[in-house]
Amino acid sequence: MENTHKRFNFITWFREMWTSHPLFSTTCALLLMIILQTAALGFDQGSFGEWFSIWSRNWINILRNNATIGIIALGMTFVIITGGIDLAVGSTLVAIGAIVMIFIDSSQTGLLTQIGITGVPAAIVGILMGIIAGFLLGEFTGVLITKGKLPPFIATLGMMKICRSVTQQCMQTVNPAVPRGFTQIANLSVGGQMFMPIIYWLLLAFVMNYISKHTAFGRHVFAVGSNERASRLSGINVERVKRSVYAIMGVLVALAAVLQVSRIGAMDYANAGNGYEMDAIAAVIVGGTSMAGGKGSIAGTILGVLIIAVMNNLLNLIGVPPFLREAFKGVIVIAAVLLQKKEKTA
Amino acid sequence: MQLEMKNIFKSFGANLVLDDVSFTLPEGHIVALLGENGAGKSTLMNILGGVLQADSGKIFLDGEEITFSNPKESLDRKIAFIHQELNLINDLPIYENLFIGRELRKPNHFLDHEAMIAETKKLFEEMDLDLDPQTMVRDLDASYKQITEISRAMLMDARIVIMDEPTTSLTGSEISRVFTLMRKLRDMGVGIIFISHKLNEVMEICDSYTILRDGHMIRSGLVSETSTKQIASLMVGHEVNEGEKAASSQAGQVVMKAEGLGDGRSFADIDFEIRSGEVVGFTGLLGDGRSELFQAIFGSGSQIRTGQLYLYGNAVKIRSTQQAVRLGIGYVPRNRKENGIVKDLDILTNGSLVTLTRRRKNGFFLDEEQILKDFEAQKKDLHIKMEADTDSILSLSGGNQQKVILARWLSSQPRILILDNPTQGVDVGAKEEIYQIITALAQKGVAVVVLSSESKEITRIASRCYVMYHGRILRELKDQSLNEKTIMQYATGVEE
Repeated sequence: MENTHKRFNFITWFREMWTSHPLFSTTCALLLMIILQTAALGFDQGSFGEWFSIWSRNWINILRNNATIGIIALGMTFVIITGGIDLAVGSTLVAIGAIVMIFIDSSQTGLLTQIGITGVPAAIVGILMGIIAGFLLGEFTGVLITKGKLPPFIATLGMMKICRSVTQQCMQTVNPAVPRGFTQIANLSVGGQMFMPIIYWLLLAFVMNYISKHTAFGRHVFAVGSNERASRLSGINVERVKRSVYAIMGVLVALAAVLQVSRIGAMDYANAGNGYEMDAIAAVIVGGTSMAGGKGSIAGTILGVLIIAVMNNLLNLIGVPPFLREAFKGVIVIAAVLLQKKEKTA
Repeated sequence: MQLEMKNIFKSFGANLVLDDVSFTLPEGHIVALLGENGAGKSTLMNILGGVLQADSGKIFLDGEEITFSNPKESLDRKIAFIHQELNLINDLPIYENLFIGRELRKPNHFLDHEAMIAETKKLFEEMDLDLDPQTMVRDLDASYKQITEISRAMLMDARIVIMDEPTTSLTGSEISRVFTLMRKLRDMGVGIIFISHKLNEVMEICDSYTILRDGHMIRSGLVSETSTKQIASLMVGHEVNEGEKAASSQAGQVVMKAEGLGDGRSFADIDFEIRSGEVVGFTGLLGDGRSELFQAIFGSGSQIRTGQLYLYGNAVKIRSTQQAVRLGIGYVPRNRKENGIVKDLDILTNGSLVTLTRRRKNGFFLDEEQILKDFEAQKKDLHIKMEADTDSILSLSGGNQQKVILARWLSSQPRILILDNPTQGVDVGAKEEIYQIITALAQKGVAVVVLSSESKEITRIASRCYVMYHGRILRELKDQSLNEKTIMQYATGVEE
């Protein structure tokens, strides 16, 4: 140990960081992925400028394609830190997407078009309605879990089935048209690149990170997840913390739904959002949040989303068949948790 | 079988935990291993149990030098370690718990229940125990659970049994039941190492003792040649001076008053008055309902169904803990590990958990400076021994963890503070410090309620005490009548 002060010893420094900083191994994994991905992208372009433009375009694609999952994973982080889980996010995304589309529908039979509201006001109403719907769905899940004393797994499993099924039934005959203006929310191009989803994601990540670290609510989330009894006995309103966590999740899913509707301009009620819950949970777990609750971070989740995203990109670049890619995702999740275990015992 | 541990050294990092410690367990003796928290008792026993390895030193069994590299090798040498938290499965009967991991099988590989039951019965007969092997562990009281653990050790032919604070959760009669069994084992030639904080028990059951302090072996000898007072001062390293207690004369207004409180289950017909500036004890044996009563008052237990609670003269009904906190009540629960500390959070957050919502700026964000200032003030007042605020709460000793929980409540400046078993798992020195903190609080006008089953603790700090028995207040004691003997008398239900 003495030596590290006199002469910089990479190995001891690395070991120290590996064991004492929870996100160090995750960052290392991401860097490794990025190096491999950059190598896979190749260097056979004519000039550095040309190479860089391809490289950065690839990155913008990665980030944009994962912004929806990224936003959902932010809320999932809070949910999992309280010791819960939310399996309903994929279905609530569809339900909220449908609600948003009903309000922004620009066809003759549109709900707001009929009373003469179109354009930006309609879009604002649509987004607000989506957020309110997300909030209410989340609150309701929260009430099932706190007042109904249902395990989160069961409450959200039920919500997952209900939301998608009801949405599919209700939307059979309705076919809303998404106005061109609305698609600009996600597809507005700046300098030939569509940055917007990335900006929304990072903005929300910043807000959520700040909430987790610098508000009483944020600390309560960790306290409830780590020791619910002690939290209640310290005068923390445990029920409210839990309800709020699912409500925040609902609002974030609503924002993700708005983004999804805007980006694609339509919604496939049967398949949209399928598997999002597992992708978001995977990202949160890879990011070092403990399923047992009490431990985790927004920064870790961002790293988790990126690791899975970059890995997908890498697999794509080196031509791994699509069916196999999910397997790699599974491997990453298992490996990440094994690594985190090792940190604890080391 | 005689055990000797010679010149054991052990350090964790730069921290020397055992410094040349030697320990002897003569054949068929019950030896008390004594010391404050952090003296090195657990480390020494973990070395004996094969959980940890000594840096240097030797262990001899009947003169033969042995080494363990894992708990199994220690078990193979017939050394059994019974941890404070029992390792029993509640949903299995006694005999299955005894055979767990080594189940007897029939030739067809199915479990041989009859054989296991018969073996258990035989063992219980040898141990003079009247216990049905098919009883579910869930239905046993705490002492029989302890006895089941000991039986498991005996089933493995243990020659040495290490018992880590076996009596903490037991009542008087349960303790004597466990002690009877321990004496029986001693007569059978089993050596027992008894780790305990309760010196009276040590005097009662042990033949010899060894005292550790700060990783050093301080003294060992025969129990018959010493006194509790001498042991206590050797453990602490200085005389335990018993400080003053809050005088009943300084009591002010009635701040909490109960009339006929009952929850229809754990307590009934509860009447009491608590004044500001006094320390009131509530005591009794296990099952007296005092914890349930104050949990209900604090809004975290069962609902109060009958009677009326008054705070500061107003009738109130407390439905949630946050309402109780708003009304100026603080509550330090029993069982610090389950109900008190939040293990994943750092010391600072643990010490400010109650007041987080009050320390805000701009309505939403935490006033981190104020939180730190509050905690630093408490840290100084309570003499919390710790390193960085951001260290894990688990890095602290039991006494300091308890002080952090106290800090959590004191920074909210409660008018009424309820302390349930405030010195549980706290060593002798820290215990006295906590008593002094309680006295100082009362002198500042806080009404302090102390729930404890240790009559010695009640007589030490309370100026008045209510003795409970089976959910009812049997007697209020004060002045001359407040002594250990009368407390014991009423706690065991003896009226006059």
